[in-house]
Amino acid sequence: MSAEPRSPHLLVAEGLARQGRVGAAVEECWQAVQADPDDPFARSLMAGLMLAGDFYDEAISEATLAIEADPDCSPAYLALGLAYDRRGGMWDQSILVWHELAEVVPDLVTARVQLGEAFAAANFDEEAVEAWEAALELDPREHRAIYDLAIAALRREGVATALPGFRKAGELDPSQDELFFDLIGVTRRLAAMKLPADPPEDAAARVRLGGVLAYREDLFGALDAARAALDAGPEDADALALAAFTYLKQEADNEAAALALRALSLRPEHAPSMYVLGVAYSRRAGLDRHAAGVFARLLQWSWAHPMPHVLLAECYLGMQRYSKAETSYRCAIELDPACVRARFGLAAACLTQGRHAEASWEVRRAAYYDTEREGLFWKLYDAYVEGRS
Amino acid sequence: MAEEAAVSLYRSFVEKDPARAIDVIERAKAGGMTREQLFGALFVPALTLLGQSWAEGGIDELAFMQAAVVAEQVTSFVIPSATAPDRGVVVLVGSMHRDTHSVAKDIAGGDLKEAGWRVIDLGADVRPADFLEKAEETGARILLVFAEMTTTARAVVGVREVFAAEGREDVVILVGGGPFEADRKLARVVGANGVVRGAESALRLVRRVARDLFGEARS
Repeated sequence: MSAEPRSPHLLVAEGLARQGRVGAAVEECWQAVQADPDDPFARSLMAGLMLAGDFYDEAISEATLAIEADPDCSPAYLALGLAYDRRGGMWDQSILVWHELAEVVPDLVTARVQLGEAFAAANFDEEAVEAWEAALELDPREHRAIYDLAIAALRREGVATALPGFRKAGELDPSQDELFFDLIGVTRRLAAMKLPADPPEDAAARVRLGGVLAYREDLFGALDAARAALDAGPEDADALALAAFTYLKQEADNEAAALALRALSLRPEHAPSMYVLGVAYSRRAGLDRHAAGVFARLLQWSWAHPMPHVLLAECYLGMQRYSKAETSYRCAIELDPACVRARFGLAAACLTQGRHAEASWEVRRAAYYDTEREGLFWKLYDAYVEGRS
Repeated sequence: MAEEAAVSLYRSFVEKDPARAIDVIERAKAGGMTREQLFGALFVPALTLLGQSWAEGGIDELAFMQAAVVAEQVTSFVIPSATAPDRGVVVLVGSMHRDTHSVAKDIAGGDLKEAGWRVIDLGADVRPADFLEKAEETGARILLVFAEMTTTARAVVGVREVFAAEGREDVVILVGGGPFEADRKLARVVGANGVVRGAESALRLVRRVARDLFGEARS
């Protein structure tokens, strides 16, 4: 069965919107709306475009019209709920919308997460926790639900109950390892290249190959490459750090620490080894201070990357040094405003200092960037287009 | 001597001898090494030697992993404790009568507990007489009273009055909450000894008060 035909104006609008040309897309979409005011595709696309431009009242209006035209218009529900949440102060309405979206698309994790956040904003704490737990049942790796639950635990019993949640979400964060790969010079582009047929002779090339294998999650291959480099030169800090990383990823923290420490004994300012050692320490309760020392040194080599600031901040949370944690989180956010982990961490730090409004704001910003990053509107829109037949 | 002990510990890892590893640690402790020093001066160098041995081919993959298992078995002896030791000082925490706000109280109370203070949380809507009763019962001399509304903040004076009527001027009353942060004079007006501005501030102030009341040992 083919998807319902959409007007030429609408198709052009979709194309322009996907290219990020919002203004032109709005003009075309407007033509589509004028041609058929009851077209849920056009209305929902318009709602998405208004949302992208932060025109929340307009997004609400368009999404409402789309839903009136088709009560199963999932992208319209998404746009409507996000517009309510981003506008603020409309939690009662957004709770209803997220409920509806969860009915229309039952496996949409974000709907449960957003529902929980709306409940929390409206002070329905138990309902919020239930919604987040429901989100985790759908996807145990949903990091925002984990952070939300950690914040809720913090409100009830202090930072100690929140830290495990932060750490768990942190371990699920793929951007953390990006720091390691950045430090060893393995870029996404390099990692996508075809691998050589024969292993390279040069030790540095072997280590680079190992880094690429690690990036592709072939940890055993990466370890073999590191081992081969070490057989040629056992004092190769880069090879040691790579080997340490592979152990770290397999949660063999003592092995990882042993190799990272050896690398640092040879090259005290070896940043990749500092990363591995810091993370290995941070996984142990009681070693926050040691981890903080390592990450503080790492910062001297990678201060322009948000992740060392985040890692240091999390150590400070564990050490009950909340104002220092706040400073580090703010540095991370200045470097990357879309760093969801830093936003939630900053929310935690603000809460410890009684700044609830700021904490709520940071959670909302985290939600904003997370939903933008997911590209959820287009996923739902495309599924909706495909499904309407 | 620490160096020798570290080598000895490393050997016990490689020889898969946790009993010997513990013995090395116990000897180091008996020799005056603190828990903090055990980690830095003993465990870390032993791990470094382990890493070196693997890198140089002195031990194979299996031996490396088995040694790491032994290292894991003794970490509880060398890693500093995650929770602070009990300081033996009671701190009463509560939200003022007719005030049901509790988030700031819960966070501060949780953090104080984590830092080793014996926190007794009286909850929200606590009458001045209840603070007194609990203080008499537990011997507490440090109170942390939270109030998030101007009316309840002003009413904290009732806590000081109740304690004063019983001759308990020795009790230190710290206050926390928005009204006290907004109006610096309010704390003095209600007879409080200090204002807590968040959890970190609570930790700092309580530590200082405890040092003043009980000396360095219990702060």
